[in-house]
Amino acid sequence: MAEDFLVATDLHKSFNDFKAVNGVSFTIVKGEIFGLLGPNGAGKTTTIRMLSTVLESDSGDIAIGGHSIRQDAESVRALIGVCPQDLALYEDLSALENLVFFGRMDGLNTQAARTQADEYLKLMGLQDRAKGKVSTFSGGMKRRINLAIALMGDPQLVFMDEPTVGIDPQSRNNIYETIEGLRDKGMTILYTTHYMEEADRLCDRIAIMDGGQIIAMDTPRALKARIGDSDRTTLEDVFLKLTGRSLRD
Amino acid sequence: MRALYIALNEVRLYLRDKGDLAFSLLLPIVTVALIYAAFGGETPFQVDAYVVDEDNGLYSNILIDQLEAWDGVDVELLTASEADSKLDDSDVLLVVFIPENFSENLISGEPTRLLIKQRGNAGTEGQIVRSIVQGIAGEINKEFGVRSSVGEILRDTGIAQDRINVTLERLLEEERARPLVGVNETTPGEGSSDFETQFLPGIVTMYVLFAVAMTARIIVEERRKGTLERLLSTRLSVGQLFFGKFLANLSRGFVQTLVLLVLSYIVFQMFTPFTFVQSLVIAIIFTGAASAIGIVIASIARSEEGASWIAVVFSVISFMFGGTFFAIAEDSAFYLLSRISINTYANDAFNTILDEGGSLADTGTNLVILVGVMVVGLVVSRMLFKVVPGGK
Repeated sequence: MAEDFLVATDLHKSFNDFKAVNGVSFTIVKGEIFGLLGPNGAGKTTTIRMLSTVLESDSGDIAIGGHSIRQDAESVRALIGVCPQDLALYEDLSALENLVFFGRMDGLNTQAARTQADEYLKLMGLQDRAKGKVSTFSGGMKRRINLAIALMGDPQLVFMDEPTVGIDPQSRNNIYETIEGLRDKGMTILYTTHYMEEADRLCDRIAIMDGGQIIAMDTPRALKARIGDSDRTTLEDVFLKLTGRSLRD
Repeated sequence: MRALYIALNEVRLYLRDKGDLAFSLLLPIVTVALIYAAFGGETPFQVDAYVVDEDNGLYSNILIDQLEAWDGVDVELLTASEADSKLDDSDVLLVVFIPENFSENLISGEPTRLLIKQRGNAGTEGQIVRSIVQGIAGEINKEFGVRSSVGEILRDTGIAQDRINVTLERLLEEERARPLVGVNETTPGEGSSDFETQFLPGIVTMYVLFAVAMTARIIVEERRKGTLERLLSTRLSVGQLFFGKFLANLSRGFVQTLVLLVLSYIVFQMFTPFTFVQSLVIAIIFTGAASAIGIVIASIARSEEGASWIAVVFSVISFMFGGTFFAIAEDSAFYLLSRISINTYANDAFNTILDEGGSLADTGTNLVILVGVMVVGLVVSRMLFKVVPGGK
């Protein structure tokens, strides 16, 4: 039986009177790509912030790699990498300098950080632009740098919050291939996206959130089978069926 | 170590941002140059004295030399016709005419008169020239009175006239050098009248404060862009991140201060090596206090614009009340207000070293207050600073 690498149990988080996350529980097994989908304001980003130790939950517990976030956040941070939705980069630094800097923050020495940075720049197809200033990069290149930084320090679990938003098909495809390659190497990934075909292609299991709660969780195929023929139904059909068609935000 | 690396990274970013670099290094230098040009000379005013010398004798030359000897007075010689023409055209407002036989009359003891022609009230410059000329004429009158009286008294004593003249000239010279009634000049307040010591520390502290406080905007920007949040998901602790940002501000202020003080050292030669090191210590402590306040601003500001405005208002109040461009006397209404500005304590400490010849030990209270501001600022900002709302 596969090992549970992440266990989130009954997570709650409120901001004043607003319940952003309301009793969320799920597990992610080692080597799995777990999709977390939901409309805007569903509580995905708040959940990821709690899982990545940036935000403390009001109640509930999170264990990653056997370490409780409440009791041993430092050990948890040694196991994770985060690729945020925003391009959290230093635009005036080069691609290489960005990677080395975050690598150093992840505990690598300069030499090791440099070696890893070269490796991930190559993986992202950016080795020729290693010394280019990030501010001169295209959106797709920045997205790839954003993802490469998350891989620095060789994390065992990476949180990817909409890593392909707003980029061209070529860059998106490069990111897909990178993620599939990482899975093949045994990396565990929590993935959020608004592109349903992307989730369908990449994710082993998917949780759909709405109103701060998980309203469905299963494999993409099983989710599609819930509302019809899994070969003809799309994940978007499932999503709209479960979360409704009313506008959010 | 990671905190140090954050600071180094920030310094690298600072040195690469040409706009930021220009603002924080070139602008202070330009300000120093402008203020030096405006106030740095020996004389606060400059006037032209227009003179028509129709005598061209010994005493007219003495009068013109004495007029030229005044600080800020330039003598321009005109012919009588030029003077009348310029007066008619209002090109000049006052001309001093030294009449023919001016020297001859004086030597023979005959009364003689200078003629001053003016338009209207001659303007401020003309009035100044007139007062100076009247003063010089008065001095010449007194000297001739003394010569005449002494000559009269010693006429029948058998002392040679040459000896009388030489002795009299020596005594008059001594009297000019050490007059019985002299005038001492002093600048109100506690400040020095030297440009360098009066303005330079204020300009240095003003720009350090301005730049460091403005880094509050950079921290808020980092919070918006998510780099701070990303850093917190690395192995970096909140304390390391916080201390790293403080060190970054401190380093930035230090680079700026070092450049300005070294330039001052070279250009104005206002330091000895010892006072330079002492000034650098004061600058670092001041930068620490300003950095802590910068992080407090970043902690309370909700947006980059908000951070900028708070920083600008804070900086302007601080350098206005901090005795940056004028010394604040202890009995003035501004004195109490000046105590709320950290610039006051830094400027006082600089003045103790540079103007009063004191040492760091003499600046004790000022430095203790600055260190206190730094500690309180760090504690308060640590309590208020949030990387994400509701989080760390």
